[in-house]
Amino acid sequence: MSETAKRRNILLDGLEQIGDAGLFLPTLIAAIPRSMRYFRETVRQLWFVGAMSLIIIMTCGLFVGMVLSLQLYHVLEIFGGTASTGTVVALAVYRELGPVITALLFAGRAGTSMTAEIGLMRATDQLSAMEMMAVDPIAFVVTPRFLAGVIAMPLLCCVFAAMAIFGGHLVGVTWLGIDNGTFWSNMTSNVDVWKDVVDGVLWKGLAFGAVVTLISVHQGYTTPPTSEGVANATTRTVVASSIAILALDFVLTAFMM
Amino acid sequence: MTEANDSSGSEANNNSMVRARGLKTSFGSRVIFDGLDMDIPRGKITAIMGPSGTGKTTLLKHITGQLKPDSGELLVDGKNVTQLNREGLYDLREEIGYLFQNSALLTDYDVYENVAFPLRQHTRLPEVLVRNIVLTKLQAVGLRGAAKLMPAELSGGMARRVALARAIVFDPMLILYDEPFVGLDPIALNQVLLLIRTLNQTLGITSVLVAHELAAIQQVADHVMLVANGKVVAAGDPRSIADDGSPWTRQFFGGESDGPVPFHYPAADYAAELGLGEGA
Amino acid sequence: MTQRRSHAVGTGLFIVLGFAALAYLATQTTSLVNVSQGASYTLKARFTNVGQLKNRAPVKLAGVRIGSVQSIQLEPAKLDALVTMSIDKRYNQIPEDSSASVLTSGLLGDQYIGIQPGGSPNSLKNGDELILTQSAVQLEDLIGKFMVNGSSGDSKKK
Repeated sequence: MSETAKRRNILLDGLEQIGDAGLFLPTLIAAIPRSMRYFRETVRQLWFVGAMSLIIIMTCGLFVGMVLSLQLYHVLEIFGGTASTGTVVALAVYRELGPVITALLFAGRAGTSMTAEIGLMRATDQLSAMEMMAVDPIAFVVTPRFLAGVIAMPLLCCVFAAMAIFGGHLVGVTWLGIDNGTFWSNMTSNVDVWKDVVDGVLWKGLAFGAVVTLISVHQGYTTPPTSEGVANATTRTVVASSIAILALDFVLTAFMM
Repeated sequence: MTEANDSSGSEANNNSMVRARGLKTSFGSRVIFDGLDMDIPRGKITAIMGPSGTGKTTLLKHITGQLKPDSGELLVDGKNVTQLNREGLYDLREEIGYLFQNSALLTDYDVYENVAFPLRQHTRLPEVLVRNIVLTKLQAVGLRGAAKLMPAELSGGMARRVALARAIVFDPMLILYDEPFVGLDPIALNQVLLLIRTLNQTLGITSVLVAHELAAIQQVADHVMLVANGKVVAAGDPRSIADDGSPWTRQFFGGESDGPVPFHYPAADYAAELGLGEGA
Repeated sequence: MTQRRSHAVGTGLFIVLGFAALAYLATQTTSLVNVSQGASYTLKARFTNVGQLKNRAPVKLAGVRIGSVQSIQLEPAKLDALVTMSIDKRYNQIPEDSSASVLTSGLLGDQYIGIQPGGSPNSLKNGDELILTQSAVQLEDLIGKFMVNGSSGDSKKK
């Protein structure tokens, strides 16, 4: 077994996973009407993947904003353009760093726990038990998690971005002494609602949320029912999500330009 | 329904809860069932025994429709499982209790919510009624006091009893026990045995047991079937089946290491593989 | 049951916080903040060159933001740029003979319109045009001039 497994082409393996996950998506979406009966479950998952991720997202957002402000201030100082610090922090966070870092953190925190949870349910026959109790595990377990992820990610991105702006302001204005009015007026005259906030934070957040949760629930649902299987699936979730986020980010950015 | 009438009349159909004819299943190149015929009588406790890897759990999954056989006919309570759609299967499954080998309790919920789970999913009963039903079932398995515990806090025997309470919460017509005695200490084993018998006698639930423990089965089962080689090789009363003279029963119940079930996994000739065949 | 309720409450809080963050981003850190500034009136000015001036760039008087650029159009007849500015109603006492210039904040900063007040007792009204204007100083031109002067000066010394 291990001999043949080793010999299998990694590329082919990856393609198979992508295809399989892609086919999983229609199944998942088809189960949305049925999973409306388990709306409470979606709310519960929203609590786990959304509310419970807030602290890490907020902390990281704050520090990203602070470090960006610090770096940019010293670079822009060379050209006498420190007034633009706020603008550059906002643009960098809205268009790229916000959605990407949030998605990477989300994959690490919520994605892995989804994979491990569903994988363990598979390993301990809980999914079969649900089927035996005439409860569709896709509608009851998988779809609520997917919906929760898709809803939570854009919101988390917004929280991250807001914290980053706050952090940038803290360092730029309070610490380094950029004029408060300059900081804001520069930002407000250069940041566009549609191009930066909606396209960047919201759409990217939504797309990343869908991709990360799809990968997570698919990996969990197709886990081989062993402890090794669950461990491998969790690792694969992080690796596949990270690659997917960064690759998709490039594609989306190219489209939005 | 019509197919049942076509093949062998309605009399057999009325007496058997599960009826299989010519069941064939294979996983890849491995043949699990090769034309299996089987009748499980209504209202009785039937034990299915057989060497490991003969597909006893697969047989249970066929009965519940979780796995479809490659060909053959399988009637459960007169309904052809292989032809039911999703809704039909789910309706049927509400009538079947299934006790998993590892209990399969939902780890997110406490004991009370685990037992209440099927009720909450399929009915809109008022909370008072749910509470009454759940406590009745928990009382039946002797774990009413453990209602607030989480599955992780239960011992193996307790978890299995909770799973049993959950399986009977809808008063099913059929309960399938997948290896209910594995890993239980003698006390817990006797508790589970007692429950299986009580449920069968008081509620008239048809019970199907998949197990290896002959002593336990002799205490509880009305009927034993020995599955090997993809077929039912022997069937009969649990006390007499061991002496029916077939080589299968002799090996299985006698516990002989070699017989129709070979000790050696199929392999090339030993001498040849060691390189002695040609040299000699 | 209580645990379930606390989940629902926590989830609700999370959603509210998320949308609050979105609302904050959208209204407080973007150009929307300038759009939604209550009543305003428009003024016009013509420039031979607006440089890198963009829509929604600030309009300042004595360094204080009093409005923003609404549109920049090319006037086909005169071949100059017509800039329409919306000015906050509060600042409705700008003298008639004030002048407008396209200025740059800092060396790399964005361009904005600065208004130098004149001395006339009459104020500009909605739709009026500022006659006195000064176009954007092109950095390239400045550098070019400086280089030419500098090099000629050097050669004279030699």
